[in-house]
Amino acid sequence: MESSLIPIVTVPEVATVVEIREEIDEVKTFYFNFDRQEIEQAFKIKSGQFIMCTVFGAGEFAVSLPFSPENDRKHISVRRVGKVTAALHELQPGDKIGIRGPFGNGFPFEEIKGKNVIYVAGGIGLIPLRSSIVHVLQHRPEFGRVILVYGARSSRDLMYKESIRVWQATENFETYFTIDRPEPGWNGEVGFVNQLVAKINLPAENTVAFVCGPPVMFNSVIKELKLKGIKEEHIYSTLERHMKCGIGKCQHCAIGRTLVCVDGPVYTYKQIKTLGEQI
Amino acid sequence: MYWLEQSQVEMLLSKLAENYELFGPRRDEVSGEVIFDRLEDLHQLDLSAPIPYNPPKYILFPHYEEILKYRYNRKTKEVAIERINHLKPKALVGLRACDLNGLMCLDRFFLGQEFVDEIYLEHRKKLFLVSNTCVRPFPQCFCVCTDSGPAAREGFDLDLTLAGERYLVEVGSKKGQKMVEELGLKEAGPEAAGWKKKVVDESVSSFDAFAVENKAWISRATNRLTTGFIKPEVWEFIGNQCFECGACSFVCPTCSCFNVEDVNRLDGTTDRVRTWDSCSFEGYTKMAGDHNPRKPVEDRRNKRFFCKLSYSQSKKYLRPGCVGCGRCARVCPGDIGLPNVVTYIRREITGE
Amino acid sequence: MPYYRGVCNFCGTGCGHLLQVEEGRVRGVYPLPGHPLSQGRLCVRGWHIHELLQTEERITGAFIRENGQLRQVALNEALAYAAKKLQKLSGEEIAFLASPRASNEDNYLFGKFARAVMKSNNLSLASDAGQEESARVLLEGCGWPAATDSLSRLKQADFILVAGGDLTRQNPIVASEIHRARRAGAFVATISPRKTQMARLSRLHLRPAPGTMALVFEALARIIYEEKKVDLEYLNKSTENYQDYLNYLEKINLEEILDLTGIAREALTELAGRLSSAKLAYVFYPTGVQSLDRRTMAALFNLMLITGKLGQGEGGIIPVAGLSNLLGSYDMGLSPDFLPGYLRVADENSCQKFEELWQTKINRTPGKSVSANLAENKSLRALMVVDHDEEIIRNVSRIKELELVIYFGAYQNAFARLANVIIPRPSYAEADGTYTNFERRVQLNRQKVKPLAEVQPLWKTLSWLAQALGHNWHYESAEQVMAEISRVVPQYSGLTYEKLDSSLGIKWPVDERHPEGTDCLLLKQNNAKFRFVLEEKSLSQSALFAEKSTNFPFKLTVGRSNYFWHQNSVMKRTFIPKREYNALLLLYPKGFVEISAEDASRLNLREKQLVRLISESAEITLAARISPDVLPGQLYIPYFVEEMIPEFLLRQVAELEKNEEYFLPVKLEKVG
Repeated sequence: MESSLIPIVTVPEVATVVEIREEIDEVKTFYFNFDRQEIEQAFKIKSGQFIMCTVFGAGEFAVSLPFSPENDRKHISVRRVGKVTAALHELQPGDKIGIRGPFGNGFPFEEIKGKNVIYVAGGIGLIPLRSSIVHVLQHRPEFGRVILVYGARSSRDLMYKESIRVWQATENFETYFTIDRPEPGWNGEVGFVNQLVAKINLPAENTVAFVCGPPVMFNSVIKELKLKGIKEEHIYSTLERHMKCGIGKCQHCAIGRTLVCVDGPVYTYKQIKTLGEQI
Repeated sequence: MYWLEQSQVEMLLSKLAENYELFGPRRDEVSGEVIFDRLEDLHQLDLSAPIPYNPPKYILFPHYEEILKYRYNRKTKEVAIERINHLKPKALVGLRACDLNGLMCLDRFFLGQEFVDEIYLEHRKKLFLVSNTCVRPFPQCFCVCTDSGPAAREGFDLDLTLAGERYLVEVGSKKGQKMVEELGLKEAGPEAAGWKKKVVDESVSSFDAFAVENKAWISRATNRLTTGFIKPEVWEFIGNQCFECGACSFVCPTCSCFNVEDVNRLDGTTDRVRTWDSCSFEGYTKMAGDHNPRKPVEDRRNKRFFCKLSYSQSKKYLRPGCVGCGRCARVCPGDIGLPNVVTYIRREITGE
Repeated sequence: MPYYRGVCNFCGTGCGHLLQVEEGRVRGVYPLPGHPLSQGRLCVRGWHIHELLQTEERITGAFIRENGQLRQVALNEALAYAAKKLQKLSGEEIAFLASPRASNEDNYLFGKFARAVMKSNNLSLASDAGQEESARVLLEGCGWPAATDSLSRLKQADFILVAGGDLTRQNPIVASEIHRARRAGAFVATISPRKTQMARLSRLHLRPAPGTMALVFEALARIIYEEKKVDLEYLNKSTENYQDYLNYLEKINLEEILDLTGIAREALTELAGRLSSAKLAYVFYPTGVQSLDRRTMAALFNLMLITGKLGQGEGGIIPVAGLSNLLGSYDMGLSPDFLPGYLRVADENSCQKFEELWQTKINRTPGKSVSANLAENKSLRALMVVDHDEEIIRNVSRIKELELVIYFGAYQNAFARLANVIIPRPSYAEADGTYTNFERRVQLNRQKVKPLAEVQPLWKTLSWLAQALGHNWHYESAEQVMAEISRVVPQYSGLTYEKLDSSLGIKWPVDERHPEGTDCLLLKQNNAKFRFVLEEKSLSQSALFAEKSTNFPFKLTVGRSNYFWHQNSVMKRTFIPKREYNALLLLYPKGFVEISAEDASRLNLREKQLVRLISESAEITLAARISPDVLPGQLYIPYFVEEMIPEFLLRQVAELEKNEEYFLPVKLEKVG
């Protein structure tokens, strides 16, 4: 067990919740540190990976990692949707959680150096993209144009407002925001994300796009990106599935011939199309 | 190979019982049916019994199993987590070839992929396996179609084949060799392989017409399943008959889907429990929130048969996911066990 | 040997299973191969009974309520406390709510306790009045209160009719047997307004307007009579009042029926032809919440009688019980009116017989059901309840006013909150007991796991209570209770534990003439002649509906699911069935009402859009679920969404108790 310390496969490692932030309605961010120093040191991730998080006494759930592999505070951002996430939302700083992982393939990083990178997110779809965004910005000179298009139902539903302020201040990072309906005090775009994507001048050559959001948004954005000339094999997304083990055994996340937990969660749109199931 | 006289069977069992809990086929005294059960008495073992109604899967992959126990004190913030480890060495005696193949599928799946399932490994490490050739096929069997019988080829410590009045013993491992030597079994000589082949050939030739006929059709069905060229109406027809009980998965020697729940105990601890699950259930792929990527029952049927017969899934098992034991057909309230599904696919192909 | 033979305790099918027991705990379940009925199959519920049997949510000790708080006490202290309170009560002041999942032994003594010790006939089950009504109709018609045949010859049947409900959900293994018979060549027809899975598996599906099923059966009988396919010689020989029935049939206006039911004449003619020419014909109907009403059951009985399918081994009527020991509960006399063995309280000879057997006086005044007591009996002061499996309790406010509520239960339950005394019970795997399935098969389920020390079987705790109240009850084992049952209940007279132990169930009557039990009711077994069951009322509910239809244009029916039936609190103690139930409701967390696509588009309704459902007496807001399974003009809601029941359904309980064939006239409004 000790020889293959990371990833943590079977017995969760105990971590302490050190800070909790309310992000938006029903979504909180939990910052954590591992209790064991050697795990704290050894725990390395790739952007786009996920962990299995135990809320003691309630159960375990899969959650994508929003922090950068380098120089970023460890945290997860979780919407309250079921019994286990509801129990997580009850926690206070100082409470313990259990962590297994990290699991999954993650977003490409080295392979896309030198390319233009477009991030398109809808609502809480920004959570899994955040890791890659921060990582890429940390290595900003090694990439071409870097663009974020982000939409939510209202300004109150925009995730990571604090991070966004930092990003907006980053040179050479193009950001576009939209909300579904006009509201007082909002000077930005109004409309759906796909409409905004259609309006923006986006590069198509030597470009990759990372898209994440609810199914309706996802499909309409893909359509726009393809119209812009971006190839299906250059569009990446991350799939969320019901998971119980994270290590390719329980089969809850099986789609056709692929298991999201070990083969994914990151797939190109070209792959997703052949999976034969809904997003 | 060696000879094991009928009178020596008990010796073998007693010897095994010294170090292992014994499991094997026994007959239920009232229903007369065969179940693969823990033996309390060596005489309960019935090597001539037909294929047991339950596969030995539950011994390695229990129906309900605590895999972790933890206690969290919210006041002091203390967490204590322990692995539950109460496993005794077990000997599985009289395994039919299909079930041994099933077990090897589980091995390759749980141990041979990207991650090793440590829970399964714990169970698996301490087994002694004695297989038993089916010298005649049983009514629902079609292992000849799925290349998993009637005799085992690998995976056993010892393999028994009834030849006349006594058993030919083939050794499959060092553990097995040691056992044969300790028992002082008589060597069978160079002709033994020929005798065994004769017994197996006779068994193969006495399979029911349905199994023999199905042989070619199973591979054609495999082809269709892999490529997805099966009309949605066929799945709809199959889906209409599905009672969504999950039995096909539970009785399948190779089905390994599981569910995990944390169960709070009265003493303040929590058990992480892993239980059998089935992809035929609607809630199986359900996600918290309101999204189910796989909805209609015919989709979920499709998924299971894909898992049993497609090439891509076979790559994980290094053989088809179906071992031809026929249990799904006996246990299905909707009469859509695998042989019937193959029949429906065949009807689609031939337009019967 | 971790696998032990037993009987599944969920529905009334009574499937055989093997419980895997290790170190005193149930660890798994497997179907029992070779069981004559289930033949190695289980449904989704049966496959997860081990999850229920392992739950921590048990009642593990005795409790007494003091100053509003429950305090755990020793079992004998709780019993002594209960006995002291019971001593002061008369038979009119107490009512007894029995459990259709408890064993015959427990149920028999519970009934005996009510009648012999407390002198009360206020004894009933919580629901499933359909079973009792079915028993009454069959008793009246053929002197036999349950299934007139069993499933043993079903595979040879050439005609099977399923009336109402959805057996694939309620009793899946019974439905599986029907499905197998269909595959072997039987013509299977379903009559139900809703398109169920059973209907999908049938060759013919008739969808009469809700409330008109009795008319369909009468029309079938009329057609068969018209076509002169009635064997008058047989009727003359074996029935008492066939002429009355024929006169009744002659008065029937077929055209009017076709119009009211909405069924095409050709379909009826086909069905009538199939039935009358069948060599072996069976009809099935469920007896739970989806039971038929009395008139419909009577019409169905008459139809089978006029076609000569009863009494000659040519078929049978098979009521299918929704809960494991529902039939056994009535066999044991858990009804205000029926004594054990279906003798009647109103009958002086029967009362004398029991006074002799029980060596004590019993109350001659017929009692009332528990719900009737709670609603009407002003002098009611106490209630004794066994394992109330439902989450929803009727008449909660009245129960709260009672001085004494004694709850005997195995699992934590909402009823425990209302109790003053709680006595723990073992789970069915922790005690010996017999259970009687819908085909009259009595099966012995042996103890496989030892309960905690303070958890004692009901027959034992009741015996202690009876002794404390001065009665000479000395039962040492469940087997001794069965020995008494076999003396008291004629149908059980030949049953012993020894016999049951070496069998996989024996079908009653088991007596001197039928030592191995009885598969099928034959005329020669029943010396009395059969009677057509003629009902006074003939005005169909649909005709009444016409009057209301301007204000309440939709007919609302209710139904069950695979994973929950009733609002069964026991299923909530499992993982997988609970998850499946939740999955079903995921898209409709507040419940749903099913509506046809035609009506939805007419009302401009979207899927999941909130609608207000309004009846004469209540209203509720729910999501619309557009379904191909309901016809235009009809609505369907599941009878298992917890929130919906007290809010809406319980307010019209009187209507609902008339069973499935009744429907609620409602209207639908869009919200917002």
